[in-house]
Amino acid sequence: MNQLTLIPILPLIGFLVNGLLGSRLPRWLVSVVACGLPALSFALTLSLFMGIASNGTPVIENLFTWGSTTGFQVDAALYFDQMAAVMCLVVTGVGTLIHIYSVGYMSHDRSFSRYFAYLNLFLFFMLMLVLGKNILMLFAGWEGVGIASYLLIGFWFEDPDKTAAGLKAFVVNRVGDTAFIIAAFLIFHFAGTLDFQGINAFFSASQPSLLMMNVIGILLLIGACGKSAQIPLHVWLPDAMAGPTPVSALIHAATMVTAGVYLLSRLSGVFLHAPGAMAVVAWGGALTAFLGATMGLTQYNLKKVLAYSTMSQIGFMFMACGLGAFQVAFFHLYTHAFFKACLFLGAGAVIHALHGEEDMRNMGALAKKIPFSFATFLLASLALCGVPPFAGFFSKDEILWSAWSSPNGSPVLWLVGTVTSFMTAFYMFRAIFLTFFGPCNVPEKVKKGIHEGPPSMSIVLGVLAFFSLVAGFVGLPGFWRELLGVSAPFYDFLAPVLGHAGEGAAADHHAEFILMVIAVLAALSGIFLAWLFYSRNRDWAVKAKEIAGHAHGLASRGYYFDPLYGRLVAAFDWVSESLLARRVEPAINNAIIEKPADGVSRTASIFSRLQTGNVQGYVLYVLVGLALILWWGVAHV
Amino acid sequence: MTGVFISFFALLAVAFAAMVMWLRQPMRAALALVGHMVSLAAIYACLGAHVVAVFQVLIYVGAVMVFMVYTIMLLDDRDASCQQPWSMLAIPAILVAVLVAAALWMLVGKQPAAAPVAGAVAGDIYTFSAFSLAFMKHYWFHFELATVLLLIGVIAAWTAIREGRNG
Amino acid sequence: MDRYQFLIALSGLIFSMGLLGVVIRRNLLVVMMCLEIMLNAVVLSFVTFAVRSQTLHGVAMTFFIYVAASCEIALAMAIVVLLVKRRGTLDLSAHQELKG
Repeated sequence: MNQLTLIPILPLIGFLVNGLLGSRLPRWLVSVVACGLPALSFALTLSLFMGIASNGTPVIENLFTWGSTTGFQVDAALYFDQMAAVMCLVVTGVGTLIHIYSVGYMSHDRSFSRYFAYLNLFLFFMLMLVLGKNILMLFAGWEGVGIASYLLIGFWFEDPDKTAAGLKAFVVNRVGDTAFIIAAFLIFHFAGTLDFQGINAFFSASQPSLLMMNVIGILLLIGACGKSAQIPLHVWLPDAMAGPTPVSALIHAATMVTAGVYLLSRLSGVFLHAPGAMAVVAWGGALTAFLGATMGLTQYNLKKVLAYSTMSQIGFMFMACGLGAFQVAFFHLYTHAFFKACLFLGAGAVIHALHGEEDMRNMGALAKKIPFSFATFLLASLALCGVPPFAGFFSKDEILWSAWSSPNGSPVLWLVGTVTSFMTAFYMFRAIFLTFFGPCNVPEKVKKGIHEGPPSMSIVLGVLAFFSLVAGFVGLPGFWRELLGVSAPFYDFLAPVLGHAGEGAAADHHAEFILMVIAVLAALSGIFLAWLFYSRNRDWAVKAKEIAGHAHGLASRGYYFDPLYGRLVAAFDWVSESLLARRVEPAINNAIIEKPADGVSRTASIFSRLQTGNVQGYVLYVLVGLALILWWGVAHV
Repeated sequence: MTGVFISFFALLAVAFAAMVMWLRQPMRAALALVGHMVSLAAIYACLGAHVVAVFQVLIYVGAVMVFMVYTIMLLDDRDASCQQPWSMLAIPAILVAVLVAAALWMLVGKQPAAAPVAGAVAGDIYTFSAFSLAFMKHYWFHFELATVLLLIGVIAAWTAIREGRNG
Repeated sequence: MDRYQFLIALSGLIFSMGLLGVVIRRNLLVVMMCLEIMLNAVVLSFVTFAVRSQTLHGVAMTFFIYVAASCEIALAMAIVVLLVKRRGTLDLSAHQELKG
């Protein structure tokens, strides 16, 4: 067993220790186990990363043969290439930080060890997903993170709403998973292998019909949509905020929800030959980014703002994937992990300080009371809005540039992206002004107790805010690279697996600069408008809401996706209950079960008269039988 | 000569069997049955199986029939079944039985005539010593099982009577 | 038709007669006697085949049949006595409850 195997195994050990013995162990030991093992995983990942960064050869670890038949074998194998390295670093790195944060955040919870057991379990499955060498391993991890997510959303299971939210996440994911499985079947049907390298090589060399490629691509997209909360399978993500806030940070912002992006990038070999599916990915991503941002504009729940924001940002990543700029999508995934985790944890610090209050209308003027949390939240927000030189600026700008310049892109996509980033800036600073400035609406009772979180929380916030600030410098856009005469280590590192596809080939740096300025101006104007509406003239916001009228209602109710799905389920229910159960089934039942059964019992009642109870009658039957047998013999001998 | 004897005793056996079925009084039927069994014993003797013939007379006529006769004496002979001896199923049963007998006759007639057995009755092989050796050599286990069966029969009969007395 | 065929035919005939007797007679004791006739027909076939093949085994089997017959009659007579005690008659048509 080498380093690579240990990476996922260590959190599994943590899960077993905390899950089986946690309730008997002291809290400090639970914390040490829960944070120490992922930290060890992170260290191992780092050392492997150093290796791969220097020599560029992927690490493969064959654990055992999962199953084999004639001409087909699937191994439980781990594969650590550049893409997996980035994901692994994010998962273990951010994961470890969030574990440490959770020690402080969950310190008052009764089910301390259960929480950490689930969190470690999540890390195990996520690492399995990331490191799997074939679709089967990835799928096992994929389902595993689904379970961990379900368990953690419904962590406070005494509240029926929260268990329902967990269930909703699970059920919605099933829809996507079904499509994913069908896609895997189709891929296996054509390529004859489940191994990622084999699949990509196969589809690069020879493709089935274009239609088939598009079908596979779209099925994979539906699978990715489920996990990554893209329209139309996004409905579970806002409800998933029912879980503890660090969980939202880890699973529903930084890692699990980006698994869809990872899947698309892993199977880039399939998508590059399915132009139709690519277009759907790009436009679907843009749509999600836009609608997510509009929904974020109208929310009053701090965590839901962030949830819609996550949805919107992953929409950006999908858009980049759809444009073929997988490495850019990955870059955004990487920067997003830091600042979105930081935002969620900052929100967690606010909620922690206010003893569970999540509604922004009941906050305000918290900047002075919890200045450190405010500062980190602000930094991360700036990163999210795409203000230079924060991390989000570089990645988002690169996506917008891809939208403009890539062969599959179009100015419309760029426009949608820019408008979205304007709205992003607006809703983030709306949240900041509502939460940290303005009049204090916190109930008097709670007011006195407002305090910064324990050091374990603050340190993590600080580290994540630091990375939100600097993480972007490893992937400077082409224009800056040329200007400063440096390279972009992030893209160079990923080039062996993802190439430079989708980057504007004939780099028109003039246009790139202008577009960049426009994007920054959009973000800054968003911030300015938020200040105008929510800090300077609060009544403007109310008026704007009145003017928007129906549009506001539409967005704040999530575009009625939930009622729509409710109707859909009710329709299925009607079909199964009123139609199938009440009409069709009784008819079938009558025709093929009850009627024949009646016939049999009627016939039987005739024959049962033979049973008279008279012994001699029975002997006569024997005699008749004997006669029949003998005469049969006479006829046939 | 043997053939004549066998035919004669066969006729006798069938006649006695018919009498068992025909006679109304159980006692007379029992006596007819004795006659039937003795006729069969005579056939066995004609075939050279003297030992079987002797046992037929000893066990069947001597033991079984005595049992039967005791029971008849125990029970009332002015029973309703003596006044009306035929069951309700008599006529269909006779018809079917005729069919069965006809079928049997035809089947036996269809059998290929047996090749003359080489050295028929080549010395008497059915002697007591031959049986004794056979039982001690080949059938000792079956012999023991038979004794167990007899024991069980005795116990069962005794238990049946006892239970009947209690119930 | 040789001697053995004749005897087997005879055995079949006597067996059929016994079976017929079991069905047509009312008297329980006579029914028992007809059962004995059937058993005797079987013994006859055993002996016939044994003699035809000039072996000992078929004839040895008759002894076991005798043993079984003795047991059977001992038990059967006990049951007959009990039945008659319970119903007060030997008439088989009085016993009609052998059904589910």
